[in-house]
Amino acid sequence: MKRFLILTKAIFLMHLRNGFVLFWNFAFPALLMLIYGVVMSQYMDYMTPGVIVLNALSFGLVGSSNMMLEMREKSVLRRMQASPLPAGQLIGSYLLVNLLIGILQSTLIIIAGVLLYNVPVSALSLALAYPMILAGLLAFMALGGIISGVAAKAGTATAVGMTIYSSLMFISDMVFPLDMLPNWLRSVVPYLPAYPVVQLVRSALLEATLDPNWVTHLLLLAVYGIGATFIAAKLFRWEPKA
Amino acid sequence: MSKSIIDVQSLTAVYGSVQALKGVNLKVEKGEIFGLLGPNGAGKTTLLAVVEGLHKPQDGIVHIGGINVQADSTATKRQLGIQLQKTALMDDMTVSELVEVYAALYEVYLTSGQIDKLLARFDLVEKRNTLARRLSGGQQQRLALAVAIANDPQIVLLDEPTSALDPHARRAVWDIVRQLHDEGRTIVLTTHAMEEAEALCGRIAIIDRGEIVACDSPSALIANLQLNSMLKATVELPLDQVRALPSVSHARYTGQHLEMETAKPELTLSALHELASSAGRSVRDVMLRQPNLEDVFLKLTGRALSESN
Repeated sequence: MKRFLILTKAIFLMHLRNGFVLFWNFAFPALLMLIYGVVMSQYMDYMTPGVIVLNALSFGLVGSSNMMLEMREKSVLRRMQASPLPAGQLIGSYLLVNLLIGILQSTLIIIAGVLLYNVPVSALSLALAYPMILAGLLAFMALGGIISGVAAKAGTATAVGMTIYSSLMFISDMVFPLDMLPNWLRSVVPYLPAYPVVQLVRSALLEATLDPNWVTHLLLLAVYGIGATFIAAKLFRWEPKA
Repeated sequence: MSKSIIDVQSLTAVYGSVQALKGVNLKVEKGEIFGLLGPNGAGKTTLLAVVEGLHKPQDGIVHIGGINVQADSTATKRQLGIQLQKTALMDDMTVSELVEVYAALYEVYLTSGQIDKLLARFDLVEKRNTLARRLSGGQQQRLALAVAIANDPQIVLLDEPTSALDPHARRAVWDIVRQLHDEGRTIVLTTHAMEEAEALCGRIAIIDRGEIVACDSPSALIANLQLNSMLKATVELPLDQVRALPSVSHARYTGQHLEMETAKPELTLSALHELASSAGRSVRDVMLRQPNLEDVFLKLTGRALSESN
């Protein structure tokens, strides 16, 4: 346990001391809220949960695996592999730090929503929203794990992650309502990973209730999360592809 | 019972599409500094990687302290201190944080006093709060060595510990390696620098194209091959006449410099002066060099070590 805690602290410190991580994970979401506020200030109630999920998606698919990829490319993982550290402890530490960062990121967006746009939140809405955000983060990070396992380099992983993120961003009811989409796409979107998170977080945060289809949404997320975790674990590599 | 602390038997391994190791046999005795000398791509790093449990061999077996690496790599990893070819440290961590973390990976938990004591040995105590990425190359290498022994291992594996270091930093690393050896630790290091192997190692395995071509102490390697001294001079003479001089086994020109291998340098030099005098030439810049590991490598592989890198 002590080893796990020391390693977790180390990974957390590495994230905090990395300017890239700080900008993209903390400054950028706040900036995004400001930009959305300028463009669509009257819709910020609707938008805030969307921005939370949008950031969670971007963080899960791209941001969360960046540090792991960097450590892999610089042989830091290989040096760890040479120690008796089990891979599960490394991944567990890394996951914990990234969940914490993801939660901090979402908190920052909620604070910005409340302070800048009077988004109504209550203790109940927060208590319902955070588990949904957490579920979304876990599923997105597992999907990001697949991308970083397949990609040979960090740059490739970022490009693939950003492509998926950009596609899902426009069609998952995050920033554009679903009825703006063509019918054929509207029937597919509910099965994509971001859509259930948006519904779960929006109902919880804005209405302090569970979405009527919350069980289906959570089940779908579980399928994505568990399936992707299994594949990501199979694809995990200590060193870059030869 | 053998006191070999590392025992490598019939090891075969592939790296990418390359047959990196071809039936390597090797024994490292407890408490010695053992060198793996060979050019880049010879298989040194792959051999270490298999011993470290980082690379799965195709065939063969490795025992560390009597434990089979393939059967229980967690147990063998606990006995090892590792420094990879790249320093491979988290560069956004401070020096003392890194020592703490890497010791913890082996479930060794150091107090700040113990960390400072360790850093003092590597002349890094004043850098304890400096981020690793702000250290010089020599300091980073010393830190990598400090991290390698943070778990107090009895066996330390160093992969090219002085590559890319300036001569001063290289000497500092050599001193550290000698200190570790004086403490009774077994050291295995890879190098492609024959002067490093000669300066540090009690025994050396010369490795080329995945095979151990010789293994002994540096002096025995040189003596066993009965290598001659190398006499160098600047003089222009027909090569066939030079080769006919007494005791000359080989002669060649590299640029204007004549190089002769001779068993009796004094006799050869005297004859060379006579030959030059009769041809109306003078012999200049005479140098006599004793045979070294470079010559051993050349003799065994037909290639110069420096040319192979």
